[in-house]
Amino acid sequence: MLSFKVQLFSVLKSKLKADSVDLETPEGITAGEFLDLACAQYPTMVPYRRVMRLAVNQAYSEDAHILQDGDEVAIITPVSGG
Amino acid sequence: MVADESRKRRVQLSYERIDIPAAYQFLQTPGAGGVAVFIGTARQWTGEIETLSLTYESYEPMALKEMHRLIDIADGKWPIQRVCLLHKLGDVCLTEASVLVGVATAHRAEAFAACRFLIDRLKVQVPIWKQERLTDGQKVWVEGNHPSR
Repeated sequence: MLSFKVQLFSVLKSKLKADSVDLETPEGITAGEFLDLACAQYPTMVPYRRVMRLAVNQAYSEDAHILQDGDEVAIITPVSGG
Repeated sequence: MVADESRKRRVQLSYERIDIPAAYQFLQTPGAGGVAVFIGTARQWTGEIETLSLTYESYEPMALKEMHRLIDIADGKWPIQRVCLLHKLGDVCLTEASVLVGVATAHRAEAFAACRFLIDRLKVQVPIWKQERLTDGQKVWVEGNHPSR
């Protein structure tokens, strides 16, 4: 198993009342599977699943990207800077 | 403040007010025949909804990387001589600048094009989020743009 501290921002941070959550995953998990697992463990995220993207080591990842132990992960919802 | 500066580019996320004269001074260079500056400001009315103030938050290390990446792309498309990409974080009051994009190039067409590209892409790609404080006391995260895949 791998352990991640998942950083949260904006609406997810407000809804979960936390700026990060912990997630344990099997080895070899992809970014897309990671987001599904996060929603399963934290159902508050479910309404946002369609618009969530995973950032891995401070860059947007593709759904098929395989996570490695020690990766920095953050869930990015649609941005609204400017 | 998180800033990164070279002779050619200034990229910054800051909780301080954006220093517009300083940004313009940075953009000035003898080789430039045009400087395009876009300043995004906090707007009071969105339709019938009144905003009192805005608050911005960011995933700062990634935002800075994305801002640099956008400048790298722009630099490959247009002959940029100087470029600024500055965003304020935290509270922004009405009329205050939340973002400044400035580009200096030899000719105006490239300056306009690169400036437009940078602000348009920043609003889609850079992990910064805006929360509006409304007159009824609500604080609402603005529905944002989906990062492109």
